Amino acid sequence: MERKIGVYICECGPNISEKVDIDKVIDAISSIEDISVVEKYKLLCSADGKKFLEEQIKKQGLTHLVVAACSPKEHEKTFMEVCENADINPYLLQLANIREQCAWITEDKDEATKKAIRMIRAAIGRVRYHSPLDKKEIESNPDVLVIGGGIAGIEASLQLANTDRKVYLIEKTSSLGGLVTNFEKNFLGMKPISDTIDKKIQDVKNNKNIKIFTDAEVEEVIGFFGNFEIKLKNSDEEGDPIGFNVGAIVLATGLTLFDPKNSLKYGYGEIDNIITSLEFEKMNKTGKISLKNGKPPKSVAIIHCVGRDEKGYCSEICCMYSLKFARYLKDKIPQVKVSNFYSDLCIPGKTHQKFYEQTKEKNVDLIRFTDVGITKNKDQLNINYKDENGNKKSLLVDMAILSSAVEPATDASKVAEIVGISQDEKSFFAEAHEKINPVSTSTEGIYIVGGAQGPKDISSTLIQSEAAAGKILSSLVPGRKIEPEVKVSHISESFCIGCKTCISVCSYGAITFDEAKKVSVVNEVICRGCGNCVAACPSGAASIKHFKFNQIYQELKEAVK
Amino acid sequence: MSELKGAVVSARSGTKETIIELLEKAMDKGIFDGVIVPMKVPAGDSFAYVFVKDRSLLKESFPLPPVMFVQGAKAVSSVTRLGEGNMKIAVIMRPCEVRATIELAKLNQTNIENMTLISIDCPGVLPTSDFLSNPEKSMKQFDEAVKKLDDKIMRPVCQICDKSSMIAGDLHIGTLGAKKDTFFIISNSQKGNNVVEKLGIKLKDNLDSWHNKVKGISEEKHKKRKKAHKDLKSEVGGIDNLVETFSHCINCHNCMKACPICFCRLCYFDSDKVKHPSEDYLERAESKGSIRFLPDTTLFQMGRMMHMSHSCVSCGACEDACPMSIPVAQIFSMIADETQGLFDYISGRSLDEPVPLTVYEEEELHEVEDAND
Repeated sequence: MERKIGVYICECGPNISEKVDIDKVIDAISSIEDISVVEKYKLLCSADGKKFLEEQIKKQGLTHLVVAACSPKEHEKTFMEVCENADINPYLLQLANIREQCAWITEDKDEATKKAIRMIRAAIGRVRYHSPLDKKEIESNPDVLVIGGGIAGIEASLQLANTDRKVYLIEKTSSLGGLVTNFEKNFLGMKPISDTIDKKIQDVKNNKNIKIFTDAEVEEVIGFFGNFEIKLKNSDEEGDPIGFNVGAIVLATGLTLFDPKNSLKYGYGEIDNIITSLEFEKMNKTGKISLKNGKPPKSVAIIHCVGRDEKGYCSEICCMYSLKFARYLKDKIPQVKVSNFYSDLCIPGKTHQKFYEQTKEKNVDLIRFTDVGITKNKDQLNINYKDENGNKKSLLVDMAILSSAVEPATDASKVAEIVGISQDEKSFFAEAHEKINPVSTSTEGIYIVGGAQGPKDISSTLIQSEAAAGKILSSLVPGRKIEPEVKVSHISESFCIGCKTCISVCSYGAITFDEAKKVSVVNEVICRGCGNCVAACPSGAASIKHFKFNQIYQELKEAVK
Repeated sequence: MSELKGAVVSARSGTKETIIELLEKAMDKGIFDGVIVPMKVPAGDSFAYVFVKDRSLLKESFPLPPVMFVQGAKAVSSVTRLGEGNMKIAVIMRPCEVRATIELAKLNQTNIENMTLISIDCPGVLPTSDFLSNPEKSMKQFDEAVKKLDDKIMRPVCQICDKSSMIAGDLHIGTLGAKKDTFFIISNSQKGNNVVEKLGIKLKDNLDSWHNKVKGISEEKHKKRKKAHKDLKSEVGGIDNLVETFSHCINCHNCMKACPICFCRLCYFDSDKVKHPSEDYLERAESKGSIRFLPDTTLFQMGRMMHMSHSCVSCGACEDACPMSIPVAQIFSMIADETQGLFDYISGRSLDEPVPLTVYEEEELHEVEDAND
């Protein structure tokens, strides 16, 4: 095929033109083989600029396009669209980033000009070997699977179902609501929350778009964003396994408590009247706060930071609910003496400080420790601690509440394996990016919300559920087809030696092994084109579209020539 | 590592003969369905790995031949590359061959599920060309050298091998530190324990004398190795010296073909990807003044280093295969030590250690980061 390459240099206002002698660049580039036209333009990304490019492509009959401008992160999509509008394949475009990588960082104008020439030459060298790639479209299923019927899963289900999405809500226990159903009041406002929770549960049950499965577990998930096939462990009335298809999955498997039995110094399970925070919540909500002998305690110690050293992270919520416990106690047994033992206080938030101060005003002692343990003293408990100065002290109390660190729910690992996402080093589900992409995972279409992603309170949990619902509603639109990644990896059957190295480095589970042929096979719909397999393949069988060996080689060759 | 268990075996009829008797017994008892073992060829002047199914042929086996024409790992992988068989197979090899087999197992190039890997204290092997010039004399010389623990006539890379008694497989035959007419049989796995137990041998003897002897030899060889590598580095280090060293290379790729770790179906350097249009060569000649043909010989060696040095077991097969007498194995053993050192990895030490290529550590390789960064 005869190549007609057009090179367009963007002045980017003064950004590029002041640092690069563009006329000199044009001179140096024009004589290169296959170059039909080299032109400069004030601002190619402007509406006029795009129109100019489109007309040029048509007028000059260009087959390939090189745009020397800014970072591809900024405008690659813009110029790919121009190509589409001008009826050339958008992958026959190459950008040379002469702004961020040249004009902005190279002080000397001569040097910058020389560098820009090299970069454009490299782009020309590369684009010559580009192949057209075709976009693919696949039908998508707009339904959603929510795993976990606690507050996180309930909220996500409601948000989705209210926009007429079909939601499958799977809960492994026999009832909805999860951990929060044990709470009488929430911290900050000290307002009863049962009514709110009960209402949400009723809303879920009454919503015709939500299909609830209790006592249910997911057995198998296969597929990809827009097309997941789900199989439950449970059977229907005829005894057939339950299965359905969804387009996205929300993981809301929640959290559990660090078991204080793992740390002998607290005497939990050995000595009476030492209970965990969750046991205290239940005691408070279902009956009255009492010792084993049925009498109300005269003094209670609430120990914060239980298991923090073992887990290696602060669980965020314990300080606040421990203060709430002090309030429960003072409200119900006005004469009780309450001492909160903490190592560090974690009370960030716009109304948290006030809550803390109000609690202190109710005669709650706050004692800082550097080490703490509990021993039995007749029918009472000795809280043995070291204060901030390292002095050993002791306090006699009737009851101790252990505010244990939170952990991911016990079968989080099993769920992670079934849906094919990774866990972080603390076994919480790993987000795509902790700061800037906190509810997505590395697998498109699978979202994580609530305690399964990390320790958090009810409001943060609701925020995440709403965020995940938003992500799903905006990316998985009924009737709209999904465009999977085009620049995907390919494994050559004749070169593959079957060592499976690629499978071990693929973050997306996109590679399977063909046992009959003893070769690895890429699922092009799941592959995100990261290139891990290409780098790791010891026998050169893996390659990635648009980053072919020869394309990179030619680019490099021109860059260093 | 767990404490090794071992037994002293009486070998009045000779070490080789006793090993053969044990193999025969194991086949009789159905512990093994077959044995892969080196054997003398009928002409008597060469050795080959043979897969023995007929027990009576075991008599001809030669567990410690004086040469290594074919690296044992290659023999093993050719049997099981396409998956495990139902047969229980014992393989007798040198420690470097066992380690290469384990590397290949990690890379799914062999399946050792049903295999019992048996290594033997290795005195080194003779360079192939030395042996072929006079097989009969060489065999005598080899026997003498083994008796005296003298490695001067062995492959240069054997002379600096500090892993010649490394136990990576299931069982190991220890001749070092053993009393007259005995050897040690040492188990390194549950599979090994079971085999020995079924043979009626109890793994309860003291191994101190073997350990001490091995420790002495490996420490001495380790020092020798360090020094040899240091000397070699001053000779071949740097791009100019490297190009000079490989300037005799005729691109035959024999080193690659003999290498147990080079398992690619088609080497990149044999593919069309390194065949460039003639303008490319013209350009290269223009920029450098001239280019030598055949081109890319150093590039081939460097590419091979990059691809396999993390798994190289320093067996020396490449150097023996080189028709141009380039000290490939010595150079590669030096590079391998450095590459593997970067990852705290020793090729073939254990099946449980993944090859470094497949392991991602956020904090690693600071030593190769850009110094200006």
